[in-house]
Amino acid sequence: MNPPEFEYVAPKTVQEAVDLLKVRGEWAKVLAGGQSLIPLLKLRLASPALLVDIGKVPGLDYLAESDGHLRMGAMVRVADLNRSALLKKKYPAIHDASGVIADPLVRNLGTVGGNISHGDPANDLPAVMLASEGEMAATGSGGNRVIKAEDFFTDTFTTALAHDEILTEVRVPVPLPRSGGAYLKVEQKVGDFASAGVAVQLSVDRASMCTKVGIGLTAVGPTAVKAKKAEEAMLGKQVTDRVAVAEAAALAADAATPTSDIRGTAEYKKRLVRLLVARGLKRASERAGGKE
Amino acid sequence: MAVEIDSEDPERFFVRGKGRYVDDIKLEGMLHLHVVRSPYARARVISVSGGITGNELRASMEAVGEDAGGEENTSVSFPVLATETVNYVGQPVAAVLGDDRYEAEDRADEVDVQYEPLTPVMDPERSLESGPIHRQMKDNLVAESVLGKDFKANAPIELEDTLRMARMSPNPLEPRGLVAAYDGSMLTVYASTQSVFSWREGLAGSLGMPEDKIRVVQMDTGGAFGSKGGIYPEYVVAAHAAMKTKRPVKWIENRYEHLMTTDQGRGVRAKMKVYAERNGKVKGLKADLLIDAGAYPVGGGGWVASWISSQLIGPYYIPKAYATSRAVLTNKVNLGPYRGAGRPEAAFFMERMMDKVADETGLDQAEVRMRNTTTKGWTTPLGRKTPPSKPFFNEALRAFKYSSRKKKEKLGLSLFVLVPASSGGESAKVAVKGGRVKVWMGGNSHGQGHGLFAKMLASKELGVPENLIDFQHTDTSALSSGVGSWGSRTAMLGGGAVVEASRKLKAAAKKKLGKRYSKARLLEGEYEAEAFFKPKDFLNSLGANMASARITKVGMGTIDEVVSYYDVGTPLTPYMVESQIEGGTAQGLGEVMYEQVLYSEDGQLLTPSIADAGLIHSTEMPKVVAMTGTHRSSLKHGAKGLGESPTIGVPPAATRALEVALGRRFSYLPIEQEKLWAVELPKE
Repeated sequence: MNPPEFEYVAPKTVQEAVDLLKVRGEWAKVLAGGQSLIPLLKLRLASPALLVDIGKVPGLDYLAESDGHLRMGAMVRVADLNRSALLKKKYPAIHDASGVIADPLVRNLGTVGGNISHGDPANDLPAVMLASEGEMAATGSGGNRVIKAEDFFTDTFTTALAHDEILTEVRVPVPLPRSGGAYLKVEQKVGDFASAGVAVQLSVDRASMCTKVGIGLTAVGPTAVKAKKAEEAMLGKQVTDRVAVAEAAALAADAATPTSDIRGTAEYKKRLVRLLVARGLKRASERAGGKE
Repeated sequence: MAVEIDSEDPERFFVRGKGRYVDDIKLEGMLHLHVVRSPYARARVISVSGGITGNELRASMEAVGEDAGGEENTSVSFPVLATETVNYVGQPVAAVLGDDRYEAEDRADEVDVQYEPLTPVMDPERSLESGPIHRQMKDNLVAESVLGKDFKANAPIELEDTLRMARMSPNPLEPRGLVAAYDGSMLTVYASTQSVFSWREGLAGSLGMPEDKIRVVQMDTGGAFGSKGGIYPEYVVAAHAAMKTKRPVKWIENRYEHLMTTDQGRGVRAKMKVYAERNGKVKGLKADLLIDAGAYPVGGGGWVASWISSQLIGPYYIPKAYATSRAVLTNKVNLGPYRGAGRPEAAFFMERMMDKVADETGLDQAEVRMRNTTTKGWTTPLGRKTPPSKPFFNEALRAFKYSSRKKKEKLGLSLFVLVPASSGGESAKVAVKGGRVKVWMGGNSHGQGHGLFAKMLASKELGVPENLIDFQHTDTSALSSGVGSWGSRTAMLGGGAVVEASRKLKAAAKKKLGKRYSKARLLEGEYEAEAFFKPKDFLNSLGANMASARITKVGMGTIDEVVSYYDVGTPLTPYMVESQIEGGTAQGLGEVMYEQVLYSEDGQLLTPSIADAGLIHSTEMPKVVAMTGTHRSSLKHGAKGLGESPTIGVPPAATRALEVALGRRFSYLPIEQEKLWAVELPKE
């Protein structure tokens, strides 16, 4: 439970950090809030020679709407998401998730960028990003690029980021009028990883017909899962259409490939996904209609 | 190089961070020990090179194990460091030293162990049909017990169930640890412990040293729950390393090691069958228990088989009973005591059957229990002397307001006998010097605040105000003998010994001072008295719990409130009684809903972190109401046992409350999350 020796550098700019990553290659690792990486170091499951702490880079902790997006700097703390009135009102799926990630101690230090770039299928924000048309802005030695959430999570603990690339911003489009979202998580007890989690983001027209639907799943596959067929099944349907909702929930469960573990059997987790998708659609649609 | 221990009463310092735990010790030149452990549940050790090895220990010690052999199954000893085979994940194989923990852990790379993996025996149900884990044994049976007489039953109701309690890790806040220091003749061990005397005995036996060359000093100890009573391989290795290097050596267990390598409790399967009349009266009980003893017969496996089954009848009058029990080896860490240590198992199995009788007969759960209580003390067919339970259960139901609350709440009940570890006695010493009084007990507080009652009792006996009394850590050099703190015994036995030692001291002072005796003159003198208190009295006591369950907004069953009514005799420090009940309730509920140790089929630990192990948080804690029945015991200070009552009484009551709220029978603990849903989950 004590890490081997490593070097620690806290650069002042993203470019400096990227240069270090490029020079040191695979032996360097980016440190953000440290809530996943530090335990890995202590267990000696990861033993990088160099930690590049981006916590001292100014200007990575913004949280604001601009140019049609909600923009979250990579170093925004999860607890700050949860304190944001803007998120509570307009981005309830992100807000919901920010209240159930681990425990308050982790949320005070854990960052948006870290939660997403760790690539852990049991982390809560990846599913929210998949449901909300999220995008990840990254800076690397080859310059800047933007990666769509659905292209970002490539495997367990693996993302589309190159080893010399740093996630700098996470963003989602500003929702249309009559939009709502929700994140539902079932856990053993507060602070635990999800037995299963479901993120829903949707928009409806004046007749309560779904014009946009996003559904993301937590902890039921090698990565967070985008339930595309379930999303499509709800398009053009009334959110109160029970048959459509049940169909979407079943399709979402089909997209899930959970494994049996201490939190339950694979079959149980699939059933949980069905329950949570149906509930998530309901809550998101209520919020789209202005109900909290 | 002695460690300074604050002589002031330490209890109140803890919350201010002023406790002094073994890991707070810093000695000149101190080395840190890191233990290299087996990654396999079962393997042949082909070679070990680097670090301190079992062969090195074998050359310098007597009982290091593996060489014992013999005809008897129980003659296989538990090696300090394995040299021939490893039999659970985490078993110590070698040890390395460093100037700090980082360096020590780095040095693990210098150790090379070659293993030949073998197929482990993981399922106790299949242990007896598997080949023996240890080549010195003929099979994997550690202990077998048959109690009572088999009988032919003729009853209108026969009910059967298979019940199971998962293995549990004790998980005290402070893990195990020690500092060993050697001055060329005397080995001094600073310990996080429940018993300095059993540590001394164990170290002397393992190291082949006389007991008078070993001093064990207790430091502030942050919980134990059974895990710090006896010695472990790491302590022997640390002592060996201190003597070899002539430098103090510290070893502190981390949480991962605790979950892997500290003895685990529970892990019992029971096949229960009861024979009852239509009026709910139980006429007969048959039970067959299977206990997962872990890797070595030296663990709890040897004693737990008959210990659990002897308690199965609990507080009830059941005229016929027959209980068979076997403890079998598996490739898991040894079975050991965990708060309750056999008592919770017996109570859970019996109480689950009482509820089954209630469901079968349609009688209220309280009524069924009441009909099976006794008005006279008796000895059960399984050999336990039992107090009359009817008057107490009536009191408890009144205290619970059961009959009015049952109309609108989903309630569960339990009724049990607490059989404390009262045999063997306990020591205490009281000394007066320099105008102050010092008090020692042979078995000491490891977080229960025993110092508070020890001071209170000495104050009462001597007439000296408590602010002139200092409670001391236990130290083998301060007392001539002692036992330890476990099994709900210390308030009764340690307390009784403090009373006796105080009376002896007072008598000595009176004899010396004659008519001049006064409290002031007592404090002016120098006196010392030690007592070993060994009551012959029957000290079993009764307890009851009620739990209330509800369905959450999410749609899952949860426990809303737990009420206890325990006969603690005269409560010595009511605040600490309440705290004990709160903590034990948390553990009892953890056991029902979250906590367990799980292994994969190949013997890897599936619950390697404290989060996986399922410890309950404040967020999951229900309202706790702690009430006590106060029927003085026959002891001078009137105390009865308490410590284990909540882990005995809470699991069956909480399980029943959830069962009532959810309308489905629960036979296994912990209850899987899947089974806690009140709403039906969509099916494929």
